[in-house]
Amino acid sequence: MGWNLSGVRHLELPMSYALQTLWHERSRYASGVLAVAFSAVLIALQCGLLLGLFKITSIPIDNTSADVWVGSTDVQSVDLGKPIPISYVSRVAGTPGVTNVELYIGHFANFSRPAGGTELCFLLGSEQDYDSAGSPVMLSREQRDALTLPDSIIVDESDVKRLGLDNPEGKAKINGKEVKLVGTVRGLKSIAAPWVFCSLYTARHLLGFLMPADHVTYLLVRCESSQSAKDVAAELRAKYGDDMGAYTATEFSLRSRVYWLFRTKAGIAIGYAAFLGLFVGAVITAQTLYSATVANAKEFAILLALGIPRWRISLMVIAQSFWVGVIGVGLAYPVCLGLRAGARQVGADVDLRWEVLLGTAVVTICMALISGCFALRSVRQIEPMSLLR
Amino acid sequence: MPSLQGVKLVRTFGDGTARRAALQEVTLDLYPGQLALLMGPSGSGKSTLLAVLSGLLEPDSGHVYADDDGQMRDVWSMTAKERERYRRKHAGFIFQGYNLFPALTARQQLEIVLKWGDGAGSGDAQRRADEMLDRLGLSKNKHKKPAQLSGGEKQRVAIGRALVKNPTFMFADEPTSALDWENGQKVIELLRDAAHQRGASVLCVSHDHRILPFVDVYYHLDDGHLERRSLPPSE
Repeated sequence: MGWNLSGVRHLELPMSYALQTLWHERSRYASGVLAVAFSAVLIALQCGLLLGLFKITSIPIDNTSADVWVGSTDVQSVDLGKPIPISYVSRVAGTPGVTNVELYIGHFANFSRPAGGTELCFLLGSEQDYDSAGSPVMLSREQRDALTLPDSIIVDESDVKRLGLDNPEGKAKINGKEVKLVGTVRGLKSIAAPWVFCSLYTARHLLGFLMPADHVTYLLVRCESSQSAKDVAAELRAKYGDDMGAYTATEFSLRSRVYWLFRTKAGIAIGYAAFLGLFVGAVITAQTLYSATVANAKEFAILLALGIPRWRISLMVIAQSFWVGVIGVGLAYPVCLGLRAGARQVGADVDLRWEVLLGTAVVTICMALISGCFALRSVRQIEPMSLLR
Repeated sequence: MPSLQGVKLVRTFGDGTARRAALQEVTLDLYPGQLALLMGPSGSGKSTLLAVLSGLLEPDSGHVYADDDGQMRDVWSMTAKERERYRRKHAGFIFQGYNLFPALTARQQLEIVLKWGDGAGSGDAQRRADEMLDRLGLSKNKHKKPAQLSGGEKQRVAIGRALVKNPTFMFADEPTSALDWENGQKVIELLRDAAHQRGASVLCVSHDHRILPFVDVYYHLDDGHLERRSLPPSE
C-alpha cells in the first residue's frame, strides 16, 4: 500500500507491525485488551443507564411532536421554564421555516388527594387538536376530546394510586380546584412530581394568577423539516437570545437530562465509577504493554544498534496501545448491546445513543494511549550494549 | 587506506580494587573488502572492543576514526545524534542470538530496517529485501516467521537485516556459536562475501578456530592487549 504523505507513511509501518505483533502475541496482550473492554463496558453502561433513567426528565419533549421549543432565556430543563409573553408568537411565526406555533404551559401545582394529603405535580397544558404539537403522541382521539372538557386530566397509570385517583369518581383537587381523571396512559411515568396532562384552558384555570393571562411557558414550533428546525432555533437564539431560549426538541431533551444528571450529582457518581474503571484499565494496559516491550527488548536493541531512532520504537509501542484500545472497544460494544437487551427484560432502559458509544470509544482509546506513554519507560531502558556478552 | 581505525583505545570497568582494564591502548586498522577475525579467551575484551569500534560503548581514552563518506571522523567526538546517524548509515550488526521479531516475516525483518532507517518507501523496501533474501538463498522463506525457520535460516535472515542497507562496516559477535558447522560455514562465507564482493569492512568476534581459513586478518586479544597474528597456511 503506497502513501503519498510522508507523515502518514511514518505511521503506516508502526501501525501495521503493531497490529501484527498484537495478533501474533495475542495471549500476551489479552489482559490489556480485556482491561480496556472492561473499562469501556463500565463507562458505556453507567452513562447509558443514567441517560435512560433521566429520560423521565424530558418526557414532555420526547413524547410530543414539536420541532422547536421556545422558552425563557437559557432555560435549563423543561420543568424550569419561566413564563414568557404570548406576544413572542409573532416573532417566532415570522421566522423563515416555521409552519405552525402553539402555546404550551408547564408549571408545578399542588395536587390534593381526595383521601387527604398533598403532592407536588407538574401540570402540562397544551392544545388538544388531533395534530397538536404539545399533546402526547400516545393520547387517543377520544382522550384528547375528553381533555377538552374543563378541568379534566390524564396521568400515567403508574401514578393513579399515588395521586389517590383510584376512587370511583376519579376526582381530586389541583391548587384547590376540582379535577377529574378522564383517562390514563402508559410510558409517561415520573420519578418525583407526577406529570399531569390537560388542556391549555384547564391549565390556565388551575394555575390562576401563577400564569398571567398573556403568558405561557413555551411556544411549540413546527418547521418545514428537521434541518430547518435547527436553522429556526439558531436564528431565534441569534436574534432574540436576550428574551428567549430556543432549542430543537432533540437539543432541549438532552439539555433537560444533562441538567438533572448533574443537578442530582448523579454525574459525579458516573465520574467516580468511570474513573475507577479507567484507572484499573489503564494500570493493567500499561503493565501489559510494559512487559510486552521488555519481552521484545533484544529485538528493539538490535534496531537501536543499527541506528534506528528510539522514537520509532516508542511510536510502535504507542501504536500497539492504540490497537489495544480499538480492539478492547470493539469487544466492549457487543457486550454493552447484550447487557442493554438484558436490562430491557427487567424494565430498565439503557440509552446507548451514538454519543455515549463514541464518547466511550474516545475516552478508552485515549486511556490506552496514555497507558502506552507510561509503558515507554521500558523503551528508555533498552540498550544495544545488552546484546554483547 | 583503512576505513576504520582504533587508536590507543582504553576501556576499564569497575572501581577501586575491582577495577579491570578490558582494553589497554589497543590500536587496529580495518580495511574495506577485508574480513577480520578477533579471537581471544572469554573475558579478554573482544566484545568491548567491538562495542567501542562500532559506536556503542565510549572508551575511557583513545580515538575511533571511521570513514564517513570519504572523510575520516572521530566517532566518539560526534554528538549522540550524529553517532546514531553514523551507525544508521554505515554500521551493520550480527549477534549470537538472532533477535528477530517473532511476529514479522523474514521479508518484514529486513523491510523494517530500510523503512525506519533509510526512510525507504514500501515498494523500494520490499524489492531490496527480496533481493537480499534471494542472495541469501531464502527466497522461499520470505513469508515465514522466525518460528518456522531453522537456526541457520534465522541467522541468515539476521545477516540479511545487517546487510540490506549495504553498510560500510559489519560487526559480528559470535555469529556462528549457536549453529552447527555446516550452517556456521555458510554464515562465515556470507560475511566474507560482504567484505570481498560488497567492499565492507567486517570485524567478526569468535571462539571458533574453524573460521580461520575464511578470514583475511586475524587478531588475538588477551587481557586487553591486541596482537595481530599470522594466518595458518591455506590447504
